[in-house]
Amino acid sequence: MCNHTTRMYKPTDKMSDLICENYALLQVLSRFGVSLGFGDKSVQEVCAMNHVDCNTFLIVVNFLGEESNHIHDHLSGLSIPALMDYLKRAHSYFLDFQLPTIRRKLIEAIDCSSENEVAFLIVQFFDAYVHEVRKHMEYENEKVFTYVEHLLQGERLPDYSIGVFARHHDQINAKLTDLKNIIIKYYPSGGDNQLLNDTLFDIFSCEEDLASHNRVEDYIFVPAIMELEKEIK
Amino acid sequence: MKSQETIYIAVAEKSMIVRSGLVSVLRRLPDLTIQVIEISSEEGLRHCMEAHKPQILVINPQFGGWFDVVAFKQEYPEAPMKFVSLIYTMVDASQLKGYDDSVGLFDDVDSLAHKILQLMNMAGEEDGESDSLSQREKEIVGCVVRGMTNKEIAEKLYISVHTVITHRRNITRKLQIHSAAGLTIYAIVNKLVELSEVKMNL
Repeated sequence: MCNHTTRMYKPTDKMSDLICENYALLQVLSRFGVSLGFGDKSVQEVCAMNHVDCNTFLIVVNFLGEESNHIHDHLSGLSIPALMDYLKRAHSYFLDFQLPTIRRKLIEAIDCSSENEVAFLIVQFFDAYVHEVRKHMEYENEKVFTYVEHLLQGERLPDYSIGVFARHHDQINAKLTDLKNIIIKYYPSGGDNQLLNDTLFDIFSCEEDLASHNRVEDYIFVPAIMELEKEIK
Repeated sequence: MKSQETIYIAVAEKSMIVRSGLVSVLRRLPDLTIQVIEISSEEGLRHCMEAHKPQILVINPQFGGWFDVVAFKQEYPEAPMKFVSLIYTMVDASQLKGYDDSVGLFDDVDSLAHKILQLMNMAGEEDGESDSLSQREKEIVGCVVRGMTNKEIAEKLYISVHTVITHRRNITRKLQIHSAAGLTIYAIVNKLVELSEVKMNL
């Protein structure tokens, strides 16, 4: 989501500065359920107004701005429920908003006349990809988050650990890479270039966004749950 | 040579300045696609080993007091990992047993890239090979998208299953297409098959 390293932010920084310096953080804002129109208020104030855990918000913001895969442990003040809520909202953003939007643009961009058999295949291919993402995220929503919710209540469900999830948290990007390659290298030229390139641009940024979403899961969420597991032996 | 395969490297170093410096050099190495995992504590190292499978661990020999490579290898015997020491202070030679290589603060881009290629056994691989498919490979693409199994393809073309697998691996590498469905679209666009012949398994 963030393609460059940004400075670290503090609770007293202005929320509007955060967004203006790195507009990719808009996504984080909406996933924490923070709406715009916060004037000159600080991060702390805006979070309080929106009932968002400020520490967790800044941990995510600063992690994304770090542009690295730094394993975070012993994060003080991280609220697991707040982080989980963020991750859930991100899932519904991808499944219910971002991917359907790209699909609509894709259909518009490729020539879907009956002579163009490839167009039909591409859309089908995209659907197969979305299906995979959906399966992946539903698994997290149902299995992983349920497990963690029990953990938070001091109860360890048998036959599962966050390590199982971490080891199988595969990249679901292979299909998307294929789709990009086909459009870039092999899609027959002609037709509306502007629209197709624009769609491709969306696919790239969606992929990046998904990758940073996965980074938050791998490098903040998983280590935090591993620590929680140790406490509840 | 351009290697598309991602190499996973974990960097365990407590100094943020040194760690970030090495990480940004690693990410900029030409011809290599490297994913770096940053580790700054013993706890983090354990998390990393539980959740990720780095191929190379670059570690300060004094990480956590003294990092014992031999004991570490015994703790994680299933991970075929290479160990590289990150040296920028005086270290006793006895502490460097068990490492596969070492890097220092003044290593340049070329020597760093060379070391990684050596460790990954990738030096000199795939040099000068073209990215277009051979006639045989095209035939195989045709078979794959018609839904034939490796065994069926082998029988049809009078080659061994092993050869089919090798061809398929080369096709994936050359085209950068990893799924059967992606291959199908490639085959149709390039007129290797007709849409009606394709067995849809998207």
